[in-house]
Amino acid sequence: MKKVLIAGIGNVLLGDDGVGPFAIKVLEAEYDFQDNVELADLGTPGLDLPLYLNGVDAVILVDSAELGGEAGAIRLFRKQDILRIPPRTRIDPHSPALRESISLVELTGAMPDELLMIGVQGSCFDPGSTLSRPVRQRIPHVIDAVRRELYTLGVWCEPKVNSGVPDTWWDGIGNAVGTDPSALI
Amino acid sequence: MTSRIKIDPISRIEGHLRIDAEVDGGLVSKAWASCTMWRGIETILLGRDPREAWLFAQRFCGVCTTVHALASVRAVEDALKLQIPPNAQYIRNLILIHHALHDHIVHFYYLSALDWIDVMQIPKADPVKTASLAQSLSSWTRNSPQEFKSAQDKVKAVAASGQLGIFTNGYWGHPAMHLSPEVNLLAFTHYLQALEFQRKSNQIVAILGGKTPHIQNLTVGGVANAIDLDSLGTLTMDRLTMIRSLIDEVIPFVYEAYFPDVCAIAGMYPEWFGIGAGDRNYLAVPDLPTDSSASRFDLPGGVISAGDLAAVKKFDTGADPDFRRAVTEDSTRAWYKGGALHPWQGKTQPEYTDFQENGKYTWVKAPRYSGRPMEVGPLSNILVGYAQGHPLTRKWTDLALDRISTVAKQKITVDRLQSTMGRYTARAIRSAMLADLAVGHCELLTNNVLGGDVATHNPPQFPKEEIQGVGTHEAPRGTLSHWVVIKDGKLANYQAVVPTTWNASPRDSQGNPGPYEASLLRNPVADPARPLELLRTIHSFDPCMACACHTFDPEGREIARVKVL
Repeated sequence: MKKVLIAGIGNVLLGDDGVGPFAIKVLEAEYDFQDNVELADLGTPGLDLPLYLNGVDAVILVDSAELGGEAGAIRLFRKQDILRIPPRTRIDPHSPALRESISLVELTGAMPDELLMIGVQGSCFDPGSTLSRPVRQRIPHVIDAVRRELYTLGVWCEPKVNSGVPDTWWDGIGNAVGTDPSALI
Repeated sequence: MTSRIKIDPISRIEGHLRIDAEVDGGLVSKAWASCTMWRGIETILLGRDPREAWLFAQRFCGVCTTVHALASVRAVEDALKLQIPPNAQYIRNLILIHHALHDHIVHFYYLSALDWIDVMQIPKADPVKTASLAQSLSSWTRNSPQEFKSAQDKVKAVAASGQLGIFTNGYWGHPAMHLSPEVNLLAFTHYLQALEFQRKSNQIVAILGGKTPHIQNLTVGGVANAIDLDSLGTLTMDRLTMIRSLIDEVIPFVYEAYFPDVCAIAGMYPEWFGIGAGDRNYLAVPDLPTDSSASRFDLPGGVISAGDLAAVKKFDTGADPDFRRAVTEDSTRAWYKGGALHPWQGKTQPEYTDFQENGKYTWVKAPRYSGRPMEVGPLSNILVGYAQGHPLTRKWTDLALDRISTVAKQKITVDRLQSTMGRYTARAIRSAMLADLAVGHCELLTNNVLGGDVATHNPPQFPKEEIQGVGTHEAPRGTLSHWVVIKDGKLANYQAVVPTTWNASPRDSQGNPGPYEASLLRNPVADPARPLELLRTIHSFDPCMACACHTFDPEGREIARVKVL
């Protein structure tokens, strides 16, 4: 049986960067999955990402992305789209390392057969802010993209009879703060 | 002739580290370290319940989640003068040890090895010669000619494909690279193997912490692990046995691959024991407490000034009275208002001016200890321990220095660890010490539980009046401290003084540079367009600015670029 990982990537304390973990919590609350599916909020794993891809046959990542489009725009990336541009010299070794992590997994021969990354354009990345309205409104589309991929993989997933409230415990923090750093005193 | 180099990450979120250096006659004459992302993440904690602060604090950084979680609960416990049960100390310690082992292995193999290993030399290596070299260095079971041949084939396939992938943009063929093809192959093979051992170390964190990343088992007053040797779903003898067998799988990699690799490579680059010292001020806090009141520690702490090991000042506790008093954060040259303030009075009021090399130029404040810049990290940890005659530190340091001296065919003394290569060596020494301590703390926990003590938590009580606390942790990158002010059970101030803030700090009101800036002085630069030597020194500190965003950029703009001006 295929092992499937659905992982959200991003910092939940930095506004739209938290779209991935947010989507994971919505999926957990509203859907039932086949036993071979694991959902994970991986935060910002940097080069630790390969640790979580071990033994995984298919991975679906949800992450904020710079797409040059409007906030809430969604684009799907496959393995080759990510590997197309190689990683380069870093000075801060822990800076965003998705491409490098995927390249490392490829090198070690442990690459999952299927890799989909759902990239969502964010608009606000201020500390303490919650998801912006356009990104929040697009969450159902992110969920649809995950479900379509599971369908293609032949993996079962369906809405819960009694869906719960998503456990986005960080959500709404700093609402009073707004987007002006000087107001954060 | 003076040239100016700027190494600048150009992620969409203005973030991370920028290094500016002036090079005169092939040596760095001036340097500036600048963090280009505003970091005011602590402000989201104000007004919150101190008991849940750690849940938010562990999201400050994606890579070192557990270290912030721990410093946070320790800060609140310090404010309440709340002791925690011995089991809670041991469980926390086991988590810290395995997080650190994992982190140090990642640093050497994935974050910095390719500054020293020339991957493009690997196809020329002889796998049989590599195996006999490797077997002369250690008894690691995975040093066979077949292992080396298989790793070499991977590199050959990548080279033949023309798509270098992860190896694109390395400084291959740089004049400062001079390992033999066989040593390059040896280290690269262990680079491929390292992932497996990091994963096992991380598994131990997950068993005790509930999950990774973001452990779930901490609580102000102890840990939330229930211990019952007979009941499923708690910390049972079975789980303790499982942890012990994972430890037995992880630590041979440290003893027989990581430690010997670092000693061999360090011995082949002896000139790097004379580069990158900086101001030689070192700060480390004691960690791995072995009793409830945290009065005894397995890792020592203290302060060394101007490289004088004989005059080391020892810290007796994690939050020594001197440490409480002496720490300030100076905003003179950072994009904040105000001068030097103690963290309990700390403010985070932005005042952005653009990069002004004679004015303000970074989002990182300048932490100072009694007004002096301090280097933090494994090198500080090792030097303060060695200077105090700490037996475990001496054991592994002396062994490392012996091995390095043999390879280098010259005497490398402990004083020469005050250098770029000394930081790499110190991290490997610390890992070997932690491997010893992993076994020790697993036994402490098991024996304590077998003796009938199953307590893991002392409940906190919050007074109405204002209280202050500091929680420290000697994290993989060095001294971390969280400073809290609590009033009426709510957080009234919260400041995290993180290791990279100490090391990447800018100049202060006296004009004294921070450790990165000082250590870059007199660094050689053979080719300003390919400043490999500067990266070696900066990477030796294991910088982490990752209290940051992780936005993926399909055009690959999430990278550093080098500009010679």
